[in-house]
Amino acid sequence: MELQNQISARTLKVWRIIGFLECLITWIITIAVLVLTIIFDWTPWIIGGMIVLSVIQPYLGIYLLPLIKWRRFRYEVRETEIEIQRGIFVIKRTLIPMIRVQHVETNQGPFLRKYDLASVEVSTAATVHTIPALDLQEADELRQYISKMASVEEEDV
Amino acid sequence: MSEPKRLHPIAMLLNVIKAIKDMLVPIIVVVVFGGDKDGLAGTIQLVILGSICLFVIVTAVIEWFRFTYRIEEGELRIESGVFVRKKRYIRFERIHSIDVSEGIIQRLCGLVKISIETAGGAQAEAVLSAICKEEAERLNERLAEAKRNKMLGEQPEIDLIAEPVIKQESVMTFRLQFPELFLMAATSGAVGVVLSGVAAFVSQFDEIIPFERFFGEYEDVLKLGTFLLAVFAFVAALIVYMLATIGMMLKYAQFTVEKKEDELIISRGLLEKRQLTIPLKKVQGIRIIENVVRQPLGYATVYLEYAGGSEADKDSLKVMLFPLVKKKHLQKYLEQCLSDYVADVEVEPLPARALPRYMFRRAIFFIPVIIVFIYFFRPWGYVSLVLLPISISWAFLQYKAAGWNITNHQLLMRSRGLSKQTILFHKSKIQSIESKTSWAQQRKQLSSISALIKSGIAFREGKVRDVEAKDFDAVQTWFLKNSRTK
Repeated sequence: MELQNQISARTLKVWRIIGFLECLITWIITIAVLVLTIIFDWTPWIIGGMIVLSVIQPYLGIYLLPLIKWRRFRYEVRETEIEIQRGIFVIKRTLIPMIRVQHVETNQGPFLRKYDLASVEVSTAATVHTIPALDLQEADELRQYISKMASVEEEDV
Repeated sequence: MSEPKRLHPIAMLLNVIKAIKDMLVPIIVVVVFGGDKDGLAGTIQLVILGSICLFVIVTAVIEWFRFTYRIEEGELRIESGVFVRKKRYIRFERIHSIDVSEGIIQRLCGLVKISIETAGGAQAEAVLSAICKEEAERLNERLAEAKRNKMLGEQPEIDLIAEPVIKQESVMTFRLQFPELFLMAATSGAVGVVLSGVAAFVSQFDEIIPFERFFGEYEDVLKLGTFLLAVFAFVAALIVYMLATIGMMLKYAQFTVEKKEDELIISRGLLEKRQLTIPLKKVQGIRIIENVVRQPLGYATVYLEYAGGSEADKDSLKVMLFPLVKKKHLQKYLEQCLSDYVADVEVEPLPARALPRYMFRRAIFFIPVIIVFIYFFRPWGYVSLVLLPISISWAFLQYKAAGWNITNHQLLMRSRGLSKQTILFHKSKIQSIESKTSWAQQRKQLSSISALIKSGIAFREGKVRDVEAKDFDAVQTWFLKNSRTK
């Protein structure tokens, strides 16, 4: 049974920008290594590997992986539990009962802000579970809803 | 007892020791790198060292003088600080446990050290490093009284006169016997810790201590042969092993677990005594470890996962409930102190189609090693082929060990890294559950399941790899059924 809700389609843009920036770093390093290889006469293996990487990374990091990640991410917030599915090669499905939720917060990095998105972070006593990007308004509503439903007994943990 | 009290004067000595411990590295550096001990430089060094010592002692005395505690208006009030004055008021209701420990100095003077922990603190809220035993007893009394009052306050319908509060006696539920203590210390692997510690220490001081010169003079001796060297190494290892064993024995001697009302009291130690009080409701789960040496002998070690403990005190994060216990007696002991948990249940075995995946995971680890050995160290590299049967049997043991079980409100997860690990979760303490499915697993309709509980300041994860994909649904249904209602 597939979960219902998907995250905002604009998330894909944000992830692609981040992917592009990561590629930029790789390219800069590649150029630096290229220069060093020429000056110090290094073995061609290193620069060969770097060039292959700088060609493959854009395809994976900007196109393919964000797409799979976005398609895979699904969530459902029900009255008594939160269910999150995520992953690229390994699909992880997490179930968090509402009564274990200690607090919930929304976050906005610079990229998310630009696209009017926010992430929702649900904390239990043990870990934090993240819904990476929702419309700002949707995120706020979700935060309020979860916070209303969650009523953890402080004493237990 | 509302007038401010000071700690026992021996606390001054403890302060000095602590200050020296904190400054150990700079002191060693000064002593080692000191170099020239004559002339003006030597004098300056002496003066600096002397004034540091004086400073430490004076600070320790003032620290002791400034440190006062008193009980007032249902609060423990501590005032302290030499340069910065601190006032710390802790309400009794917020205190959830008082740990009593006795270091060597405290024991010699008949004193105890108490650490006061409150809920959710990453470190002990307050430490009274040296007070006399009667005083500690009184504090404990006052605390218990305050807690009782609070409980009664919440339930006013209880008839106070008809039902006087009876102070329950504690029940001894577990005592570590000597043979077990010895066996536990001897198979604890503490020797590894000691050895790596020595190695790290030696490598640290490699550059400072001139080993080259030191051994250079004994080169002739070394030439006597590798045999002598081997004997020397063996004897050294044996001595370290013996020391580590004795250390462990001292640490875990007189290990007992008592149950008192809704608390577990774990005490241990011969020279340094430690007592840990854990409220039952703080217990999050139980972890049973059977390591490769102990498992064939039928022994297991049981750890208590609980929400509490402090980062500064590593011992409080990894709490042993039973350091060593015969597996067949485990259930009996467990019933006495934590009756919510059941250890002797049959686990759901994994489906046969999971076995190749276990084999594959070991193979992917071992085969490159074997190839490298054979490629670079022919002909001796072929010896590495013995790793093949080892990895196969290891994978098989991992496969056989893995499994899960649900009994009433308990989820049990068992797996093996090198040691066999069994975790017992109570439904009401599980924070979240998760399934992981890779595409290879999906093809075979398998998935890995895991559950999280709070433990110490972080969490503990129980995990079983490659169970039937539909098993997660079963766990999920079980998990959600009663956790819907509180």
